[in-house]
Amino acid sequence: MSPLVRKDDDPRNTLEELLQQSRIEELTSEHDGYEDVEPAHSSTAHDFNGHPFPGNHLQPARTQAKPPLPPWLQAATLGLFHEDLTTTTTQAQAKVTKECLPHLTGQDTSGFELNSHGLPHLRRTQHAAFLHAQFEPLPAPYVAIDASRPWFFYWVLSGLSALGEDINPYREPLIATVRPLQNPTGGFGGGHGQLSHCACSYATILALTIADALHVVDRRATWHWLGTLKQPDGGFRMAIGAEEDIRGAYCAMTMLTLLNLPLELPPDSLARTAGLTRFTDKLGEWISHCQTYEGGIAGAPTNEAHGAIPRYLDVPALLAWLAARQTQPEGGFQGRQEKLVDACYSHWVGGCWALITAALQQPPRNSAALWNRAALVRYLLTCCQQPGKKKGGMRDKPSTRPDAYHTLYSLAGLSHAQNVFTYNARAPTTGEGRSLAAFNWAARGPSKEEMRELGVDEEDLVNFVHPVFVIPMAAVERARQEFEDGTL
Amino acid sequence: MGRYSDDPAWADIIPLPTDEGGPNPLAAIAYDDEYAEAMSYLRAVMAANEFSPRILDLTEDLIDMNPAHYTVWLYRAQCLFALKSDLHAELAWLNATALEHQKNYQIWHHRMLVVDVLDSCEGEREFVSRMFELDAKNYHVWSYRQWLVRRFGLWEQGELEFTRDLIEKDVRNNSAWNHRWYVVNGREEREEGEAGGVVGDAAVREREMEFAMQAIEKAPQNQSSWGYLRGIVRKAGLPLQGCKAFVQRFASLEQPDEVRSSYALDFMAEILAEEKGSEQQAALALDMLAQKYDPVRRNYWEYRKGLLGVDAVAA
Ligand SMILES: [Zn+2]
Repeated sequence: MSPLVRKDDDPRNTLEELLQQSRIEELTSEHDGYEDVEPAHSSTAHDFNGHPFPGNHLQPARTQAKPPLPPWLQAATLGLFHEDLTTTTTQAQAKVTKECLPHLTGQDTSGFELNSHGLPHLRRTQHAAFLHAQFEPLPAPYVAIDASRPWFFYWVLSGLSALGEDINPYREPLIATVRPLQNPTGGFGGGHGQLSHCACSYATILALTIADALHVVDRRATWHWLGTLKQPDGGFRMAIGAEEDIRGAYCAMTMLTLLNLPLELPPDSLARTAGLTRFTDKLGEWISHCQTYEGGIAGAPTNEAHGAIPRYLDVPALLAWLAARQTQPEGGFQGRQEKLVDACYSHWVGGCWALITAALQQPPRNSAALWNRAALVRYLLTCCQQPGKKKGGMRDKPSTRPDAYHTLYSLAGLSHAQNVFTYNARAPTTGEGRSLAAFNWAARGPSKEEMRELGVDEEDLVNFVHPVFVIPMAAVERARQEFEDGTL
Repeated sequence: MGRYSDDPAWADIIPLPTDEGGPNPLAAIAYDDEYAEAMSYLRAVMAANEFSPRILDLTEDLIDMNPAHYTVWLYRAQCLFALKSDLHAELAWLNATALEHQKNYQIWHHRMLVVDVLDSCEGEREFVSRMFELDAKNYHVWSYRQWLVRRFGLWEQGELEFTRDLIEKDVRNNSAWNHRWYVVNGREEREEGEAGGVVGDAAVREREMEFAMQAIEKAPQNQSSWGYLRGIVRKAGLPLQGCKAFVQRFASLEQPDEVRSSYALDFMAEILAEEKGSEQQAALALDMLAQKYDPVRRNYWEYRKGLLGVDAVAA
């Protein structure tokens, strides 16, 4: 046993705990109710079939020395800063560290095939199968996602694209499925007869972009509807009469950009009564009120900092806040101070590095020089892949079940870590009253040297995922060209 | 055969069945009959823009089956206000529903709408405190509490003591720290020109710095308390030097093996970077972070070192 793992950290105990905890979770959760939905073909405790470590008993004993552990996983680092004061927070953290360490150190490889750097391979086939299965008919308890179903279209299609799967067979079914979700007054709801909602519209439009089916969207009506969500204070509501928060601003601006809609507010927009004329008016101020004393961005002004989009902000403070979100020793990201690592923040925080690099006054040579990409890759490959020969999907952390949400944002996290995205500051940011900035991104894959540093082989690489839109780069470019002339 | 189709009170409604868009919809949900029926009545009454007491029954029924149904919540709110319904009864029902579905967030927006119209926050903080006993970091509940403070001007009515008690219970509860910041500074940040909070009121500033420092003494490796202290210094535009003596007790370059907090060492690096002629020492502090005390963030510390404009330091 490795000296850095205490006796009570025996992975057998960890696994037993895991099996005991295996639970049907409440279908909604802190990620806006979209997370932790039980997948159609999820693993259950008895699938482990009595073997403490599925597949491990079939593997020949490893005789070669294991690759050395990175500094943040070495005993000396793990032993720093012992706290005597035990609180709810420290207990929760200790439990997570305990469940992750055996995976991070390679003591428990979950029966995965290892790559040439001693980390598990990305289980492409299993993850693809898991994502495909999400499109199968869902049993009645899935009623909990009846108002957020469009997210599944997006998570699955974007996840499959990151894995290089052909999504074309889903094009026609997608077009048919979303048709009853679009309201004549603009926007998409979660289902037939539901009110248009920013999140549902955002997810649907991204899915349609991936499938090359944006002709389905009534762009003029979308523009009018977005005009009803813009508020006199500069922010956006999620739906008419619903809450105003940063997700509204983020979703609305994404849709305006991708559909190349005019930044001019429609004549009937309520925000015009406050003297606003453009969708971007007072938006910067509104977002800057969301920056907290800690440097992060809150969901709405004065709310607690939460992973989000940098702009109009105290950039060094934001950078410090982002850097502090990478967790020791897991290497993934947390969403807030003193909260637990969670794979989905691999995107929500991990996706910010390229963006903030573009905003820094003294940028490093590239965004990779600001954070620990190798630590994120290690966390995702060792802790977040669902074990079991035929099981796939990715998960928040070892004690949770995989779902489409965490699968996409884990794969996006791998893309952020493996590739380097650069912003072309010389390209135009607006043109003919439209927003163009988000189209100015270019990507490159890792060099051999970078792959060695990251601990990945060729077959562990995912396709480029756009840092702003979180869909394939090629799909973004196609949408840009499709609406280039801007007519409504 | 169904709850609504058998009920004479609904006999005038022709239900609108769901349109799934085609024979092979993606991720189609096999709704059970009760839900499918209630939804078909909802579509029909929404299409007719009906506001009547029976809508309250229908929406309650649907929320019971699917509390994340934003359409149903928004429609219910419109209906409540159009009918001038008993909002106290609504709150009583909401209490039970919130306890049953703790992670649901539509509930909190709805509650806000109701309490706003009621124009009274009686009992609200007590209920919110009950929610915190179940989860002291529930984001939506904290947002709601901030709204209560702002809407009803509760700045000086026990909120500070409330955060003190929660921080006493768990010194790493960042949500409680964030709320404390809001209670102390929120009024000034929203109404420009008000001189108070940690920026405008020296007594408040001293009290809050003292509070953060005491929390740091209790648990030095805590992002929340250091972040709070750092936030005060940043907002008030104080010279960082003022904190040096305190920070040194947790991270001194003279005793490089005795660092008690990586956050203190980070702060020390900032203090030294601001001091004239101490850039080399600042670089040393950043090296200590990169190599020993916080190696997971090595790249970030090295980026910060690059900003100092000094040549590589021998570690
Ligand atoms: Zn998550």
